Amino acid sequence: MTAAAGLSRARHLSRDQWWMTALAVLLVAELAYFSVGVQGFWGGGTGMLDQSEYFLDIGVMALGVGFVIFAGDIDLSCGAMASFVGIVMAELWKHGIEIWIAALIAVAIAALIGLIQGLIVTVFRLESLLVTLASQFILGSLATAIGGGYPPYGFPHSFTSIAGTGGIGPVPIQIVSFAVLGWISFLLVHRTAFGRSLVLLGHNRDAARYAGVNVPWTRVRAFILSALFAGLAGVLIAGTYNSVRDDLGDALLLPAITIVVLGGVDIFGGRGHVAGVVFATFVLGFLYQGLLIANVSQLTANMVGGIVLVIALTLKISIEQRQGGAAFAERLRLRFARSGPS
Amino acid sequence: MATAPSDMHLARSPSPPVDAKAVARLVRQSLARREVQLVVVTLLVFAITTAHDSGFATTGNISFLIADTMAVAIVAIGETIVVLTRGIDLSVAPILGTAALATGFLAQNHGLTPLELLPLALVIGAVMGAGNGVLVAFAGIPPIIATLGTLAVYSGVQGIIANGQEVVTLPPSYFNLGNDDWFSAIPYVGVIGLAVALGFALILWRTRFGRNVYAVGNNAEAARRAGIDVKRVLVIAYVLSGTLAGLGGLVFLAHVGSADSTTGTDSNIQLTAIAATLIGGSTLTGGKGGTIGSYLAAIFLSVALAALVDFRINPIWEPAGVGVLILVAMLADTTTGRPTLRSILTALLERPGGRP
Repeated sequence: MTAAAGLSRARHLSRDQWWMTALAVLLVAELAYFSVGVQGFWGGGTGMLDQSEYFLDIGVMALGVGFVIFAGDIDLSCGAMASFVGIVMAELWKHGIEIWIAALIAVAIAALIGLIQGLIVTVFRLESLLVTLASQFILGSLATAIGGGYPPYGFPHSFTSIAGTGGIGPVPIQIVSFAVLGWISFLLVHRTAFGRSLVLLGHNRDAARYAGVNVPWTRVRAFILSALFAGLAGVLIAGTYNSVRDDLGDALLLPAITIVVLGGVDIFGGRGHVAGVVFATFVLGFLYQGLLIANVSQLTANMVGGIVLVIALTLKISIEQRQGGAAFAERLRLRFARSGPS
Repeated sequence: MATAPSDMHLARSPSPPVDAKAVARLVRQSLARREVQLVVVTLLVFAITTAHDSGFATTGNISFLIADTMAVAIVAIGETIVVLTRGIDLSVAPILGTAALATGFLAQNHGLTPLELLPLALVIGAVMGAGNGVLVAFAGIPPIIATLGTLAVYSGVQGIIANGQEVVTLPPSYFNLGNDDWFSAIPYVGVIGLAVALGFALILWRTRFGRNVYAVGNNAEAARRAGIDVKRVLVIAYVLSGTLAGLGGLVFLAHVGSADSTTGTDSNIQLTAIAATLIGGSTLTGGKGGTIGSYLAAIFLSVALAALVDFRINPIWEPAGVGVLILVAMLADTTTGRPTLRSILTALLERPGGRP
């Protein structure tokens, strides 16, 4: 019994591990290529570290959406949420509230909105895609309405010196905060009862319910975490660029979801590893940065990202089908079985 | 069509009280149909706004509101077919943009007419849609991820085709097509959109392919076991979605008169199209909905958002309006068996503190 359990655990691990190994190899190859082939990428190593400032905000957002995707839901509102939090923070600060307190209040409001989203999804049994699509529209309007055409900028040194240019030694604050939040995500998903419930209900919602998991509340908590992380990403963006804009976060939504999926988290939920999301953040982030430094346009860089996503998933799915037989078909069946009135 | 059985019942009813009941039921049944709800609500919004400002009801304004939303409506019709298969297509924005841009360049530089460029727009859409279909049906990538990837890829293609140039001057035939009306009341593009909506409604209701679309959306595994070639149905659905996005591109070009490297994606037209699809009564769980609902929903959105502006509400609230309407449309759907606001309130009132 224990041997069998151990075996299945080992197989489960090895399943995630080969994907992470592949990501690591891809990352090393990519870094080597850009360091040698693109002038100004390597920068003595620290230059490379500094570049991560420009994509780790997406990584933070990806960690947040990860919670929701583990549960088999999705959050399309996190990009707008990041813009919204940045704007709220800036406006509170302009109205005389200490900047860090303003940031705290703004992130708390984000968590509250996450709670409301989660409640709407679970109480009315609406698809999360639809509810978060709606709240993306609503948050976008709110951000524009609150911020106006010229939202406040030029935050005090006490804020930008930490949330923007701060850090520990040569390690920028973006990496520090991403590492801390990544570690917290890892612990939450893989080391707590909440995380086990989250992944189980993503895998099979009925099984989770029969196993005594409070399915609605667990899903709601995932939405709160997603909103919270999106809010933190918004604060980081405000610090990095020393300004906020009502549409700053919108462009980050799709890359964030791309990172989660490239990281090996199943879009139907129930499978994946936070470490994969962390790896994928660097794979995709350095890919974008390397291409941009090589004077490739933003559109083309995104296009390469899209191609990587499609090829990676095609390979992953075909290899898994060969390994696990009808694994994907089985998951599809579970997915469709869930659709009936419950 | 759907009311025919009730009419017969009405005719056969022996006594007046039953008649009243039957009429009430007929009204109730009709009002449960999303298409009827949309027409009623659109007329209501229209009446209220006109009462507030008589300038709202001019034929010029009506035809503008319809023409202005037709690109979205046509894209939404294609999106509906994909949503019916329990899929989603996020890549329609760059497909629309690429079609608008490619045809726009040829029109601008070589003076080709819309009719001459129609095949090109359709082919661009079909090819890009086929890419989505292959990824979803044969590579087995979940639709939202596959089309998320191609959204980035096709946007890049659009950027490459643009090559830093943009379409700014078109032959007058484009402006006429995109903005002129029959009898100075019925916009050309509105008729094109209506024809597309009705045509695909017929295809979905009356052909084997259409029934297969609903079957796949209801239960792909059951459809497969019933002998339906699920992969083929999926590929065709995405090809149709792409083709209609291509047509939407040409309509967009004719109406707006310009196109550049970010046309379509800059206004997140895929999200508006999905919103119209959902408000039109289709559900993301597949197998339920139709193209006429999406067409009407696009017009409804256009009218409702214009009404907001007419009531001096800042246009920055338009996206919020769309968001609220999505939620309201879903909560107003009483045919899915999911809890409604009313049922939850009732449950809460009956059992205070109890879980509904």
